[in-house]
Amino acid sequence: MIIPVRCFTCGKVVGSAYPEYVKRVGMGEDPKKVLDDLGFERYCCRRMIVSHADLIGEIAPLG
Amino acid sequence: MDIEIIEMAERRGKFILKNSSPAMANALRRTMLSDIPKMAIDKVEFHLGPIMVDDKEYESVTPLFDEIIAHRLGMVPVPTDYELFTYQDKCVCGGEGCPSCTIMYSLNKIGPCTVYSGDMIPLGNAELKVKDEFIPIVELTDGQAVLIYATAVMGTVKKHVKWQAAFGVGYKYLPIITIDANKANDSDVLRVIKLCPRHVFEEKGGKIVVKNSTDCSLCMSCVAPSNGAITINSDDKNFFFTFETDGSLTAKQLLDKATEILSSEASELLSQVEAL
Repeated sequence: MIIPVRCFTCGKVVGSAYPEYVKRVGMGEDPKKVLDDLGFERYCCRRMIVSHADLIGEIAPLG
Repeated sequence: MDIEIIEMAERRGKFILKNSSPAMANALRRTMLSDIPKMAIDKVEFHLGPIMVDDKEYESVTPLFDEIIAHRLGMVPVPTDYELFTYQDKCVCGGEGCPSCTIMYSLNKIGPCTVYSGDMIPLGNAELKVKDEFIPIVELTDGQAVLIYATAVMGTVKKHVKWQAAFGVGYKYLPIITIDANKANDSDVLRVIKLCPRHVFEEKGGKIVVKNSTDCSLCMSCVAPSNGAITINSDDKNFFFTFETDGSLTAKQLLDKATEILSSEASELLSQVEAL
């Protein structure tokens, strides 16, 4: 739906990193390097970003 | 008990707790996780009904339920200053809500747009603006709008995780790595440099030496291949701590507050024991 504000497991703020992650990976950067750059060390926070399906744009017009 | 700071950035810290015990290390970890007070949004008021902007009528409708938006706003880290704020029920206002126990934010946006945490405007002190500005809260399409008033109050994580200031708090026994000097240049032992998953060893002058012992995770995968040349022990009096904060407090403020709370709780326990 929309990126969760925090990591479900540890509580690190992941929401603010998602727009930048999408932008940089879209420009052809390696996802692993982007996640390292953004300071996501633990795999709990990394999966929040990597596995997210951003569908809010499809739901929004139906509101 | 001493603390040696290894790294103290704004949002992350590493330190060594010296001359302590496992019980004290765990007490400090638990204090950092669960006893640090911070501000978080606790009450959210939504404007319902049409919102008029420049003679155009917008509906107060969003793709997410109001409850979910309120929850997302709650999770946003809010800057906390212990000089300015106190618990609402211990405040001079008697719990009614005043500028020394609450922060008011207003959020007013019209679609089409993405509403970010940085769109929240603090009423009064502009320094209380949220530091993480790009947390998406909700997306709006044309004709949709939000008008929200949110109130942040002080709390601890014992009530809800949104009041959790520290996370990723962990410690390990400080590793003690000893290398038998007579075998340090054996080819079998030098092979261990590549085997170590944390890259603790390096080669210097044909001999294996320890590069950074604090990186060692005590996995022992170097012990057997080295045929006894390397031994790993853990020191249960010194602890290597790492922790992070969500940005509502700096790492230094958080560690200071944790030690302050721990020592005040210990002296309180002592006074209660003496009263028996």
